[in-house]
Amino acid sequence: MLNDLLYRMRALFRRNVVETELNEEIRFHFDREVEKYKKQGMTDEEARRSARLAFGGDEQVKEDCREARGTGLIDTGVQDLRYAQRQLWSNPSFAVVIILTMALSIGANSAIFSVISSVLIKSLPYPEPEKIVRVFLTSNIYPKFPLNPFDFRDYRTHSKSFDSLAAFSRGDMQLSGGSTEPVRLHGFRITSGFFRVLGLHPQLGREFDVKVETPGNGLQVILSDRVWRSQFGAAPDIVGRKITLNAQPFTVVGVMPAGTEHPGNEYRSLAYGEDVDLWWPFTFEGDPTRRGAHYIEGIGRLKDGVTAEQAQSELSAIMTQIARDLGQGKSDWQVMVIPLYREVVGSSQRMLLVLLGAVGIVLLIACANAANLLLARAATRQREIAVRLALGASRSRLVRQLLTESLLIALAGGALGLGMAAGGVKALVSLLPADFPRAHEIHVSAPVFAFTFLVSAATGILFGLIPAIQASRIDPRQGLHEGGRTSTGTGRLSRLRNALVVSEVSLACVLLIGAGLMLRSLLNLIHLDPGFREEHVLTASVSLPGAEYKTEAVVGRFYDTLTTNLASIPGVEAAGAGSDLPWTGYDDNTSLNIEGKQAPPHDEFHARYHVATPDYFRALGIPLLRGRFFTAGDKPGTQRVVIINHAMAQKYWPGEDVVGKRVTWDDHPKETDWFRIVGVVGDVKDKPSSADTEPAFWWADLQQPFTSTDMSLVVRSTADPQTLAEAVRNEVRRLDPALAVADVAWMDEIVYGSVATPRFAFVLVGMFAGLAILLAAIGTYGVISYSVSQRTPEFGLRMALGAQRLDVIRLVLAQAAGLVLTGTVLGLLLALTLARVLKNLIYEVSPADPLTFGAVGLMVIAIAVLACYIPARKATKADPMIALRAE
Amino acid sequence: MADERLELPQGTLDLLILKALALESLHGWALSERLQQVSREALQVQQGSLYPALHRLERRGWIKANWAISENNRSAKYYKLTRQGEKQLEVEAAAWRKLAAAVGHVLDMA
Repeated sequence: MLNDLLYRMRALFRRNVVETELNEEIRFHFDREVEKYKKQGMTDEEARRSARLAFGGDEQVKEDCREARGTGLIDTGVQDLRYAQRQLWSNPSFAVVIILTMALSIGANSAIFSVISSVLIKSLPYPEPEKIVRVFLTSNIYPKFPLNPFDFRDYRTHSKSFDSLAAFSRGDMQLSGGSTEPVRLHGFRITSGFFRVLGLHPQLGREFDVKVETPGNGLQVILSDRVWRSQFGAAPDIVGRKITLNAQPFTVVGVMPAGTEHPGNEYRSLAYGEDVDLWWPFTFEGDPTRRGAHYIEGIGRLKDGVTAEQAQSELSAIMTQIARDLGQGKSDWQVMVIPLYREVVGSSQRMLLVLLGAVGIVLLIACANAANLLLARAATRQREIAVRLALGASRSRLVRQLLTESLLIALAGGALGLGMAAGGVKALVSLLPADFPRAHEIHVSAPVFAFTFLVSAATGILFGLIPAIQASRIDPRQGLHEGGRTSTGTGRLSRLRNALVVSEVSLACVLLIGAGLMLRSLLNLIHLDPGFREEHVLTASVSLPGAEYKTEAVVGRFYDTLTTNLASIPGVEAAGAGSDLPWTGYDDNTSLNIEGKQAPPHDEFHARYHVATPDYFRALGIPLLRGRFFTAGDKPGTQRVVIINHAMAQKYWPGEDVVGKRVTWDDHPKETDWFRIVGVVGDVKDKPSSADTEPAFWWADLQQPFTSTDMSLVVRSTADPQTLAEAVRNEVRRLDPALAVADVAWMDEIVYGSVATPRFAFVLVGMFAGLAILLAAIGTYGVISYSVSQRTPEFGLRMALGAQRLDVIRLVLAQAAGLVLTGTVLGLLLALTLARVLKNLIYEVSPADPLTFGAVGLMVIAIAVLACYIPARKATKADPMIALRAE
Repeated sequence: MADERLELPQGTLDLLILKALALESLHGWALSERLQQVSREALQVQQGSLYPALHRLERRGWIKANWAISENNRSAKYYKLTRQGEKQLEVEAAAWRKLAAAVGHVLDMA
């Protein structure tokens, strides 16, 4: 075996030496043979002839020797490659068209695969990431709800499913005294064990221990690598140093390494990725028996062999036990444990798979197209192939040769496509929605190279095999006799080519319909009324350090002054502040009691609560439907008031006039605990991707039950955007130079960004569909023009016999229409079954939308007929005399 | 004249080559001469077919080649049997005798 291998290797790599030896060996034999015959008395010439006869054809012998050496396959492979290369050079325009179309479609596949490979296939950047799970509560009303801290602590104490279980909650901080002016940093409050769950370790210092969770011990912080470098010059002695966060001294206990990825969170969310600046301890404060507040999210690392389902049922059992211990009844809440992977990529998975499907269809069409072009060329090469068959070439060798050619085309296309993909991926990433999971990890990587190579090779065989077999089937006698013109193979050949065109057209239909449905969905989303007027609205956020702004009165006065000052900036129409802005993931809910109404069992009255200053609604352009907005008069000591949204009025007071009605958050309210509804405002969509609005209400800024130190600013102004942003910063600085203004953004940008995902999907599928219909048109054009060239004599004859140009055009178009109609009908039927996968991706459009189907059907037919018109016109130019003479 | 000579059955050429090389190492031409002599001119070996067979046997490791100076002072490629080739010769010779005997039996049946 080893000997065999060594021998072959020598034969392969020292080919020249081995060949020389072979020549030498055979010449030696021949010379001796001649010598022998001469000794027997022959003349030199006779001796040579006899020797040659005895030996046989020496080229044949050499070939057999090469075969015996075991390098035959490679030798012929190299020959085939040279042959294929010559063939392609000899017809450059054919080569360019076919290689370019393959490159486009393979490149598109590689680009999409890059995204899939980085987002879906590559594992999350934590050790053993499959063991990490997220823990939520769930109920009929709230599918994904945060945990109560004390509940969480009980889970952690009693559960046995986890290696470690931790909780975290968004808590941004303002850093002052760093190397720049005050900055707001993205922060999270974490319990001990948070990084152990992720399997990450600080590069300096240590993680929080459980002691920091007790109130009073919480003034510690772990920094991200980025903040350590940008704010503290990567000081090696940072651990132990005190830094000023929210006007309080925090001790740095650790620095996480670069590449520490935030696992994503649901509540006041920060997208998955390396975007957290610091972590500080979560402390358990307050009365452990009061468990109404839910604001931390759970994350855990499962023990070996424990599944998410097992952990879920264990936690549910613990939850039931807690409720029993606290003397509560059965609740509608359940614990939900979800693998982190699903949580991170779950929502994008389907869209990416749809994109992969779409781009795969493009590749299929490109293959059909290439097969068609090769078939057409095989027809013109019939004579050559017939000659080679007649000269004794074996059919398998011919198939191999033609396949080598198609492989060469596909691999060239793949190499070119990979280059396109590298550029395409950059464009893709820039098109991606800002919160797309793992977007920064997307690049052309080794798996993408492998994928591209495999796809190229597979497509080369796919589109090359049928034409190759078809070509090798030629009967040499006929091929020679008929001089390469119409032959009996043509019937079968044209049936095959027709079938290819029909499938190209039908697949292009499918993609066009996909794109059409996505376009309609996108338009629906864009035309949805968000509930506010986004033009000329600047937003920003400010966070007041609790250490300095201790009382409601101080906080209230600050925002009151700030909004008044902002309103006096030239060009500003209205300026307000509120607890949150639309579509920022804010989702704080409360149950409530309504005067004179009893909630149905298991369905308490509930609503999302917000806080707003008087001009908040006007600044955002949220319309007032009934009653009034807040005024400066809604302050402590006066009648406490709320404004509710239309959805809440509809849900709890259907058909009633709600202004003047009263609600409370106390189960045993005194007279002063009641809040009076003074206004109803229009609904703001909860999410940009649907028209739904949950019931919601607003407290007046100065009357809210608790202090909101963090507020969002809303300024409506016709002033120049740049100067306005600067003016807002100045006003904040004028009130308190230690404050940072964060998240400065224009509302219309937020609105534009909110449909980024559907727009991304539509743009891509649209591009693929465009490519698909172009390829299908090329395919149709190719087949029809070939058929026209075949039928030229017939057309000539017809015209000689008095047929009009129009008649001939009609004839050609009729043939084309047969193909195109079949393809379109098949495509529409196929789309009808396939479009169902889009169901969750499209908004307010039926997957069987008649408008889309009708429009696409007509469009495909129109494009295809257009593609046939050129060959049809050519047909009318057929000169009867030439045509007849050729016959 | 050529018609009276026997065509070699498939696979027997290898056996004959191994046997001839078992006696002494030879170059290709000498081997072809030897085969004709010892078979008393009865076997028809197309000289050309000898070389692919030699290359195949060499690949299998049954014979080994080296270049040496021939009797007429030219450099020639000599083949000789390897240890493995000796074993192979025994195996094939035994198999051949068995086959020949069996076929002989059948033909001798009354």
